[in-house]
Amino acid sequence: MPAAVSVVGRAFGERNVTITDDRHPGVRVLEVRDLHKTVAVGFRRRKVDILNGVDLEVDEGDVFGLLGPNGAGKTTTLKVVLGLMRPTSGSVTLGVHGLAELGYLPENPYFYDYLTGSEFLRFCARLFSLDAGQRDQRVTAILADVGLERAAAVQLRKYSKGMLQRIGIAQALINEPRFVLLDEPMTGLDPIGRVEVREIIQRLHERGTTVLFNSHILADVAALCTRIAIMRAGRVVWQGAVDEALSKSPGGDLESFFMDVVKS
Amino acid sequence: MKRVAAVAVNTFRETIRDRILGVIILFALAMIVASLWLASISLGQEDRMIKDFGLVAISLFGLIVAVFVAASLVRKEVEKRTVFIIFSKPVSRAEFIWGKFLGLAATMFTVLAGMTVFLFVLAWIVARSPSGSLLVAGLLIYLELLVVMAMTMLFSTMTSAILASVWGICVYAAGQLSHNVLSLSKLGHSGIAHAMSLAVFYLVPNLSAVDIRAAVVGEGAVSWTSLAAWSVYLLAYLVVALVVATLIFRRKEF
Repeated sequence: MPAAVSVVGRAFGERNVTITDDRHPGVRVLEVRDLHKTVAVGFRRRKVDILNGVDLEVDEGDVFGLLGPNGAGKTTTLKVVLGLMRPTSGSVTLGVHGLAELGYLPENPYFYDYLTGSEFLRFCARLFSLDAGQRDQRVTAILADVGLERAAAVQLRKYSKGMLQRIGIAQALINEPRFVLLDEPMTGLDPIGRVEVREIIQRLHERGTTVLFNSHILADVAALCTRIAIMRAGRVVWQGAVDEALSKSPGGDLESFFMDVVKS
Repeated sequence: MKRVAAVAVNTFRETIRDRILGVIILFALAMIVASLWLASISLGQEDRMIKDFGLVAISLFGLIVAVFVAASLVRKEVEKRTVFIIFSKPVSRAEFIWGKFLGLAATMFTVLAGMTVFLFVLAWIVARSPSGSLLVAGLLIYLELLVVMAMTMLFSTMTSAILASVWGICVYAAGQLSHNVLSLSKLGHSGIAHAMSLAVFYLVPNLSAVDIRAAVVGEGAVSWTSLAAWSVYLLAYLVVALVVATLIFRRKEF
């Protein structure tokens, strides 16, 4: 495990999280310690605590489900991990080579309307400084992976919701990341779309990619995840293996365990 | 640098394909063609009328593209949350701002070059001799609009797209008028008015310094040394505006 570097109260530059450069295959890829985030809202700049001391550990190879009711702080936690938000205090330690080894799909993603799927993925590949040969190879492979080869030359404004979600996943995987964060990847999808996204996550797991995803669809979480964390009011209230959660569940399913933890 | 180029190419593609841009260009070309009608009723001033009216049309429609696209360029990415995708990749805020600006600058160049060449050919047909100064005037309008674009992008990092557009237009207007207002205030007796004019003159970019429309239609001569010096000043102004925009954008959370 790389040594955790405290980022409490630091002024951040271009990136808001401390990213370690040490690689320790087979161990932790994310460690979040006592993470707090306070924001000022409204005209009077009233302080609201969004995160109240989040502790989280994700190990390499995990398919990790981050659960919780709306407003629990799941998306904010992901944003702090990615550097899109600065933490008020606490530490985030990544066991991968920074953003170059990360992939991220935001919730309800919007892309550039007038670009084709292929152009958009090439653009994303260029942001990772891949050369032309690598770009061609990756774009072709990833389009096949998400089943969008035939829509490669179609402008994104003509894509359906499910196709946008798949191109979103494709852009998150364009750099062959070791660690992928997916924010509500199944939201708004029809049953076929959900199955397709589930299959993609399953394939990532089989390849050894670590996946962390937020979801309200507990059936998907139970089917895909090895470990879960349940958040409530800005902190993690339970964290462990899915099997452990199921064994402790009063109804024997993840839904009743989730309700039990959230309401206790 | 590769990432700046990637963002720039992407911005160019996205903006050049936007249908609204095509509509604006069509209007501009229609206005330039309309100058032929004005020329026909101007009694021996055909050449001058076409050049003058055509350059005004290029400035006006160029300003519309510069201000409205620049204001929405960064803002749209934040509001539509495309920035989540960009900044979850190894892209810095500075690379993003500069890439966006360069992409729009390329779009602007394409638009202005098209309109200027169209006017150049039209004026050539009417006057039966080419006027190279039209091309120089088109290039200097481009420089003016680059500065307005940079300022509008700076405003868009602080406020809404609509307010940023309004402020961008104000910068353009103030930049065209500040020199004249300063000259007029020297003639008056109000110290406060003169001090304010002086402040505006130093604060806003002096765009009128590179406006050679009068020289193009035969009124006055161009001082190339002065033009070069003012062009360097405007480029420096543009760089400072983008650096400030980057510094503000770096503090933003999404």
